[in-house]
Amino acid sequence: MPVTVRLPGALRDAAGGETKLSASGGTVRDVIADIDRRHPGFASRVLDDAGALRSYVNVYIGDEDARDRGGSGAAVPDGSEVMVIPAMAGGR
Amino acid sequence: MLPRKLQDEIVAHARESAPKECCGLLFGDGDVVDRVVRGRNVHPTPETRYEIDPSQLREALVGTDDDPDRFLVGIYHSHPRTEPKPSAYDVANALWPEQVYILTSLRFEPPEVFAYRIKNGVVTKIEMIES
Repeated sequence: MPVTVRLPGALRDAAGGETKLSASGGTVRDVIADIDRRHPGFASRVLDDAGALRSYVNVYIGDEDARDRGGSGAAVPDGSEVMVIPAMAGGR
Repeated sequence: MLPRKLQDEIVAHARESAPKECCGLLFGDGDVVDRVVRGRNVHPTPETRYEIDPSQLREALVGTDDDPDRFLVGIYHSHPRTEPKPSAYDVANALWPEQVYILTSLRFEPPEVFAYRIKNGVVTKIEMIES
């Protein structure tokens, strides 16, 4: 069963303007790779060269922070909703 | 459009947070703000930086159904000692191109409040209509 991925903020632009899409994969990394196949370049906005979540990206699987469950290796159960949220940050 | 009462709420949050930066979310519909949600600034150096608690942000976005860009109208934060315009750090970290960035400066009395859009590194000052 696919998972639903929601992309608020700037990451929408990296996925062809879609704010909600369906994807497949057993881990966060797999799900990101599936989206990247359709929207090349998406993965590099979310993952660094080592495949870890970029510091300014927060990923939630349901209401669980992926960083608390292994980061990009976190398991994504079938039918989950995954939200990939850019940080809201700045300062003087 | 930002009602005066909500602008006053943003300024009050900035004053209460000083010398730390405050931050928060502006909800409404389209360009009209009807609700201010104070954010939790979880940045480790809140005197000069802000980051809205990601879990708070997630909870807020879940409530916008499938169209956060429509209902999440803007983001606000304060500059306790510096001017009310986006810093280079603000611009580099601006990842919400559809949202309005409201900036409050406490360097003078009364505080200054201005609105901007930041998209692809380009800052555009926009008129803030009060009601």
